[in-house]
Amino acid sequence: MSHVTMTDMPHMPAQGAHFDRARLAQWLIFVVTAALMLAPALPILLQVFVDRPLYAQDWQFTLGNITDIFRSERVGQVAATTGLFAVFSVIIAQVLGISAALLIGRTDMPGRKLMGDVLMWPLYLSHLIFALGWVVMYGPSGFVTQAIAQQSSAPWNLYSIGGMSLVAGISQAPLAYLYCLYGAVRSVDSSLESAARTVGAGPLQVLRWVTLPLMVPSIITSTALNLVIAVETLSIPLFLGRPARIETLSAFLYGEGIASSSPNHGLVAASSLLLMMLVGSTLVLQRILLRQGHRYETVKGKGSRPMPLGLGRLRWPLAALTALILLVTVVVPISGIFLRAFTTFLSPLIPLSKVLTLNNFSKLFADEANIRAIVNTVEISLISAALGTALAVAVALVVQRSTFRFTGTLEALAYSPRVVPGLITGLGVFYAAIILPPMGWLRGNIGIIVVAYVMATLPLALGVIQPAIVQVSRDLDKAARTVGADWTGAMRIVMIPLLRPALLGSFILLFVFHLKSYVIAIFLMAPGLEVMGVSMLSLWTNGEVGLLAAFASLQIVMIAVLLVLARILFKVKIYD
Amino acid sequence: MTELVLKNVSRRYGNTLAIDKVNITVANGEFLTLLGPSGCGKSTTLSTIAGLDRPTGGSISFGDNVLFDAEDGTFLQPEARGFGVVFQSYALWPHMTVEGNVGLGLKLRKIPAAERNKRISEVLDLVGLGPLAKRYPGELSGGQQQRVALARAIVFRPPLLLLDEPLSNLDAQLRQQARVWLKDIQRELGLTTIYVTHDQDEALAMSDRIVVMRSGKIVQLGTPQEIYRTPVHPFVASFIGNANLIEVTGGAAAQAGGCDVRLADGQVIRAQTPLGNLNAGKQLLAVRPHLISCTKADNASEVAVEFGMENYLGDHFEQVVRVAGTEMRLSLDEPRPRGGGKIWIRNEDAMVFEAER
Repeated sequence: MSHVTMTDMPHMPAQGAHFDRARLAQWLIFVVTAALMLAPALPILLQVFVDRPLYAQDWQFTLGNITDIFRSERVGQVAATTGLFAVFSVIIAQVLGISAALLIGRTDMPGRKLMGDVLMWPLYLSHLIFALGWVVMYGPSGFVTQAIAQQSSAPWNLYSIGGMSLVAGISQAPLAYLYCLYGAVRSVDSSLESAARTVGAGPLQVLRWVTLPLMVPSIITSTALNLVIAVETLSIPLFLGRPARIETLSAFLYGEGIASSSPNHGLVAASSLLLMMLVGSTLVLQRILLRQGHRYETVKGKGSRPMPLGLGRLRWPLAALTALILLVTVVVPISGIFLRAFTTFLSPLIPLSKVLTLNNFSKLFADEANIRAIVNTVEISLISAALGTALAVAVALVVQRSTFRFTGTLEALAYSPRVVPGLITGLGVFYAAIILPPMGWLRGNIGIIVVAYVMATLPLALGVIQPAIVQVSRDLDKAARTVGADWTGAMRIVMIPLLRPALLGSFILLFVFHLKSYVIAIFLMAPGLEVMGVSMLSLWTNGEVGLLAAFASLQIVMIAVLLVLARILFKVKIYD
Repeated sequence: MTELVLKNVSRRYGNTLAIDKVNITVANGEFLTLLGPSGCGKSTTLSTIAGLDRPTGGSISFGDNVLFDAEDGTFLQPEARGFGVVFQSYALWPHMTVEGNVGLGLKLRKIPAAERNKRISEVLDLVGLGPLAKRYPGELSGGQQQRVALARAIVFRPPLLLLDEPLSNLDAQLRQQARVWLKDIQRELGLTTIYVTHDQDEALAMSDRIVVMRSGKIVQLGTPQEIYRTPVHPFVASFIGNANLIEVTGGAAAQAGGCDVRLADGQVIRAQTPLGNLNAGKQLLAVRPHLISCTKADNASEVAVEFGMENYLGDHFEQVVRVAGTEMRLSLDEPRPRGGGKIWIRNEDAMVFEAER
């Protein structure tokens, strides 16, 4: 090999063209993201200030919608109910989740691994399915309620704010559990706890003075997330609240925007804005609270698994208590769905053998719309998960690994769906398809639902991919640049292959999420465009509980199979 | 003649200047080392040459090509510069084999497969890794990874080789060998090389010229002998050769040459100033530990001191002496008994600099 000067370098990669290609790609990603995020949001904002539906002729600007909201007693009451329900359910979720994280992640409680797995079930299922299970078993005419009521009067009323909060709280406990488990319990350097032991703290005092305080950021983050989810959840208020005339914002939106024969779009848009502001302020509050984050930063210790804390005599009683809670709140409701699916009528007064039937399933499959819903759901979920993952990795790479000028704006845009509840994403896409000509061609095909899904779950996918990018040394893509790859080349040749596990994880997470989703597509439904979640919601509205239970069982099995396959085939565990 | 020229190159991060108006010219075939403690700006300087970091001021050119110019906004992307870079972390792509790592640069230059394979095996033979071509980086030792990193950087025959502390992740013995080996390859290929290190031994042993940097600025630029024998700054004296720095007072001296300085307790040391430029008053005296003698010497100042603690360092002892409220380190074959004693410093070994402002 001999020295060659630059001017007569053979085979230098072309210069100008490559530079342009990288910038072009970055701008393209930026424009696509911005369009996707803003197209649904702007029409809602517009609708707030317009006196009739956007699709009507001759609309005029008005502030009437906003004054309507503040004047309406109903909206005030709805907002208060929403707040109460959200706070109660978050308290339940956090108490359960944090205790579970400590007990399962930190102690020698027998059976903790199995119980940890069971605790996760509600997270894999939609609120709709979980609420159904509770209604079937613990509702006023539920199996368990009736069994107890034979002796005395009904011991509880599930159709109350308390009941709603309990169901929502239990279905959100896994999220609190996960954040505390992986954010703190598992990642805290065990020598911090050992240090507390050396200065004289007993096992429980260690939990109280070291472990729990270090969990504060995880607790704040999961509290904020659960608050947001409680505010936007629809099926729990619809299933449990409506019969007792308890109305939350999401149920109000659903009632005014979908169920009503003449939707008041101005009011719907204005209350959507109210909802978004509620959610947004929660997230702002979270940021403010986490500003002192360095106080909780711990130097991560390598290797040594922390010694589990001995519970001593409390070992078995605590295990029994935890198992009982899980049995009653998770296992029984989910079993109830399967039980109901295979019976004509579920009551403790009639022996099971007399009501067993496959009728629900044959009826389910007899209706072509239901088959279509299943096919559509799988198709939409696959496409959305693939597109969503592709967009997320593109956005994340521009944000984290490029010199693009507007990375801050891009990241803010990409995370903006966090403040937009799913119901409203659907509404926004619906409006956008009406007034924005280029989106019109999406009307009437599954594309419109795909757009809504990709938008709504971009933050979720980024949440999986961004931490994975941080793990890849910057030197690796810089090295690719020095041997002649431009930005796009370095990303394609080096980054994407290294991110493959994260991309797979993101794909499966999105796929499951879309499979169980029922809220986002509500406003986008049209004949031929059915998806499972929305079909299930209308089965409930029509009182077809048996059919619904059969449909729900089917969805549970689909998700379970998918998760098991992912674990076996790709060694991917979502939510890890 | 191809020359790399940095003119007033600055890099500002927010309010801090990582490098401040750096001027360097590197001749064809030269081995130039950027030497300094961590945070001195040496790696940033290298990054700006590689195109991995964009300076905020000045200009960089290579031969007739302008790589960067703050005035007109010229900035050549790293892939268009075509320089070979060896990273401190090696930055080997873990999902590609040794062959794949080395061959990517050739593939991107659209070199046909036959020619490519020939060049890959040539360069792998050169670094002594021929048999390991199919291995993955994770299956190699640290020393082997370092060789792959070098092979990857030189396989496309870059006009300039940039090395960022390439030996710092190797253990002491391997580092010694790698130093010799690296220098041999550089000489054999006649590669113009810029080498970043904080290790003074590496710098002295390998370089044609050394640039000593501190706080983003060049303190001294010269051959290893010049840097070691005639440091122009107390920092250079202490960083290269571990000189003792002692606060003294002395008279004004405009020219280089002999001068007297006074310790705080009044003892006088006959010394010389390499630069002149001395103001009367506070000055800094630099003396290397191994040049201080415990036996009487000619042309030397006698200083009364208090011998203190000694440390055994294998081939010699390091002993601390206290004098005039400050401490000096001595390098001795045998330690002296603790307590009062005398040392001798030869006039030519005592260098005086203006006190740092």
